[in-house]
Amino acid sequence: MKLSRWLTSMLLCATWLAFGPAASAHHSTAMFEWGKEKSLSGTIERYEWTQPHTFLWVVVPREQGGTQEWGLEGMSPSWLGRRGWSRHSLSAGDKVTIVYYPLKDHRPGGFYVRVTTSDGRTLAALPQRSG
Amino acid sequence: MSRTPISVGGLALACVIFCLSACGSQSTPPAAQSAAPPPAAPASPYAALAKLPDWSGVWEPAFAPRPAAGAAAPAPPKLTPAYAAQYAKFQEKNRKTPGLNFVSEVASCVPPGVPQSMQEPYPIEFLFTPGRVTILIETYSLVRRIPTDGKPAPADPDPTYQGTSVGHWEGDTLVVETSAILPETSPLNGINGHSAQFHVTERMRLVQPDLLEITTTRTDPAVFVEPYTTTADYRRHRDWKIMEYVCQQNNHDALDAHGNAAFSLKHQPGE
Repeated sequence: MKLSRWLTSMLLCATWLAFGPAASAHHSTAMFEWGKEKSLSGTIERYEWTQPHTFLWVVVPREQGGTQEWGLEGMSPSWLGRRGWSRHSLSAGDKVTIVYYPLKDHRPGGFYVRVTTSDGRTLAALPQRSG
Repeated sequence: MSRTPISVGGLALACVIFCLSACGSQSTPPAAQSAAPPPAAPASPYAALAKLPDWSGVWEPAFAPRPAAGAAAPAPPKLTPAYAAQYAKFQEKNRKTPGLNFVSEVASCVPPGVPQSMQEPYPIEFLFTPGRVTILIETYSLVRRIPTDGKPAPADPDPTYQGTSVGHWEGDTLVVETSAILPETSPLNGINGHSAQFHVTERMRLVQPDLLEITTTRTDPAVFVEPYTTTADYRRHRDWKIMEYVCQQNNHDALDAHGNAAFSLKHQPGE
């Protein structure tokens, strides 16, 4: 029983590695460092509840002063909308901490994995890894 | 309280009287029975739909193809040399970096063709009308029209993304034959392109009350050394609705000028 559960989780893990997340329905994830979690904190400028992906524009304070705009792609309304998210989940002005997979070319962008709001809510935006 | 039994009794009595009078009015006098019966109305073509299995609700594709019974993983396809090289490159990328590594025009909102359009991550829906099954695919908002009226496929249809399909029912299994699929579409994840001979046979049936199985066989002598069959599962969600999906709405992932994966940080018009 235990072994079969272990085998199942290994198989699920292998499946994830082989086929990738549902996020990559229509495109490769080659532009991101997929699986390498990084974190940023800032203020939401705009939350786009759109196909084929949601998109978060975030204003992030720079260490040397001033701010920088970040663009983070996310799963689609087709995926998030069936797992508790809506176009009202995040709003302009919300202070958030975002875990994301960065762009390989180091531009200020990436793919958002989960979002924690200032009132302590954490919204998961990707399937949980099973292995 | 005391009036309730009386009113119920009165209602029951009224019903009995109504039923007796209604039955009486419908009983035909013996003389009338010998008269010619009115011509029978032709059976509605919709009546035949009642014999079909219940595929209502929407169907979410499972994450990955299911291995054949007893197999640890889906069997790899046997490919001709040119396509084998392309597929090996894709497999090598998958080994090196997790995530989906397949780069195609689909990233630029060009829709997938059959059968890949059936393997997108978002749900599909079946509509049964007389002599036809229609499949609505949420991803890319695609439609497949599958006549099941017994007429043969047209002789020389124009190639299209979803091809030209003809279907028939074998008991509770829908069998769909599709050809004339645009040759620039992907016949299998990891392969771009196929010949005009590409042909797809799909067998669709319920294997559990809320689990639909689709077995897909791909035939194309230019790509596959022998027909390649995979099986995919779809889980029923009776309370889901198909959502609108317009890929051009806010796509940041169009391929670059060299056909490589890219990511745009440009704001969409209107922002």
